[in-house]
Amino acid sequence: MSEKPKEYFHAIHIVSDLCTGCTACVRVCPTEAIRVRHGKAEIDPQRCIDCGQCVTSCSFHAIVPRSDSLEIIKKFKYKIAIIASSYGGQFTEDISYPTAKKALLTIGFDDVAEEAFVTDFMISLIRSYIRENREMRPILSSNCPAVVRLIQVKFPSLLPNLLHVEAPMSILTQFMRERAKRLYGFDDHDIGIFLIVPCVAQVTAVHQPEGTYKRLQDGAFSIGMIYGLVREKLKKMDDFNGNIDTYENGLSWALSGVESDLVDTDDIRALSVNGIDNVINILSRVEDHYLDQYDYIVLRSCTNGCVGGGLNVENPFVAMSRIKKMMKNAQHKELDFSEFVALNQKGAFIVQPLEQRSIMELDKDFKQALTKMKKLNEILIKLPGLNCSACGSPTCYALAEDIVQGKAELEDCVVLLRKMNYDDDNKKGDE
Amino acid sequence: MAEYWNISDEHQEEAKTFFMHAPEPEMSLNFDIAEKDFTNAGKGSAELKNILKRLGVNPEILRRIAVASYEAEINIAAHSVGGTMKSYIYPEFVYVTFNDMGPGIENIEQAMTPGFSTADELVREMGFGAGLGLPNIKKNSDVMHLKSERGKPTKLEIIVYYY
Repeated sequence: MSEKPKEYFHAIHIVSDLCTGCTACVRVCPTEAIRVRHGKAEIDPQRCIDCGQCVTSCSFHAIVPRSDSLEIIKKFKYKIAIIASSYGGQFTEDISYPTAKKALLTIGFDDVAEEAFVTDFMISLIRSYIRENREMRPILSSNCPAVVRLIQVKFPSLLPNLLHVEAPMSILTQFMRERAKRLYGFDDHDIGIFLIVPCVAQVTAVHQPEGTYKRLQDGAFSIGMIYGLVREKLKKMDDFNGNIDTYENGLSWALSGVESDLVDTDDIRALSVNGIDNVINILSRVEDHYLDQYDYIVLRSCTNGCVGGGLNVENPFVAMSRIKKMMKNAQHKELDFSEFVALNQKGAFIVQPLEQRSIMELDKDFKQALTKMKKLNEILIKLPGLNCSACGSPTCYALAEDIVQGKAELEDCVVLLRKMNYDDDNKKGDE
Repeated sequence: MAEYWNISDEHQEEAKTFFMHAPEPEMSLNFDIAEKDFTNAGKGSAELKNILKRLGVNPEILRRIAVASYEAEINIAAHSVGGTMKSYIYPEFVYVTFNDMGPGIENIEQAMTPGFSTADELVREMGFGAGLGLPNIKKNSDVMHLKSERGKPTKLEIIVYYY
């Protein structure tokens, strides 16, 4: 029981000086990971899934997403950028996608690849995985790191249902690394591979991947930061024609609805869900075997999928509309995936079963947990049930839980405290 | 009065002892289920699931309890004029009873056949009534006891052990 808890990397951190203790973040956190104690918000690293909800909710810029500084690429001889698909939806339509992609070569990268390139390969990989694991249906998509962590903390019984295959950007990373070694003769340590990502969960996944056998990438930059740098360059760059390949067809990866449409076929029924609250609701129904009629469920923590990630600059609906337009106008390209197939046959894309990260249980010992549960219920009756969060816990239930765990006191409830003071005053008046 | 019993082989002894003399539960929960109220039917099992998660019940066992109690709750909403779900939590198992106010099951054996359903159109439109309710409850419980007769209230009790 004295097992040392695993330490978790998080790409979100609180600037205490800016925090007013307003509890806006406490109320939006889907795993109840935040408490305001002594007037400042604190995140429980065990519970945080890096979904980024708190970042968006904070009016005081006190919760900041962390991504790497571009400086770190200088440590490597050959620097490769891999762009997440939502990147394509960030630019106004006067800037062509090839130009926006090419611009990355002007800010210090030697090569640039895009997630969209592997979409067709991913779809076939997912389909064959579903067909080989029929007894596990529904298979749950594992591309969104926030969803994977959500399942670890709140729905551990569903861990076996996760698609146990690397995410597209990690698959691409392995391919690009092999390619740089083969074509240019670089050693492993000469090559730096960096993801340009739409959300903090992806930053966390780069620094502390779940299930991968080794860390694949060397850093993660936010789309917003790269966008700022690239825009400066674009002004000076002549519109760039040709000689860089783009794969608009595959940009579907940024949109959760389109991904499920692509996987869906005669013998595979797919469902698409986005937005963290919807995801929680659906997972609870999967737990009850209520959605067994689906073979595959695409789950994305953000609105509309990755275009809704907090590190993008454009509104998720506008970005989605742009990407859809690009996909519509794109020409179909036959791509050669033979090297991916070879890597897959070597088992390069397999991930290990994930461990649960249980936050729900009141105690490791069942009898102790039961005692705490009874105490919790006794406390709950006393609390006002307003769920006002003024105590610093998200709900009255969470406060009761915190009290039972010795992390808070009944007097933290301002409503109760006022009532107690009022009763005291009355007593004094009677004397 | 027709009756149906199903007790898993490994829990015969415990079940017999329990039904001869049921000890005081550690905790109990009550839920009312109204006729055709599919918006709220399922909340009792969701609440039970939530509590058992906090008690640290093994995720796989938890899923069995959730499925069995959810199906039973939906059954009351779909087929009866309303009833109650009562959950009793013990250190080694959970015992859940479902009592409705009728109209009872005509033929239990038939109702236990996968795919057989008497659900009306409204229920089917809501996505229920696939005829898998009772078979699913049997599959996901260690003890299942169903007592029913046409024109009488129905009583269903289930036990799921944590081991």
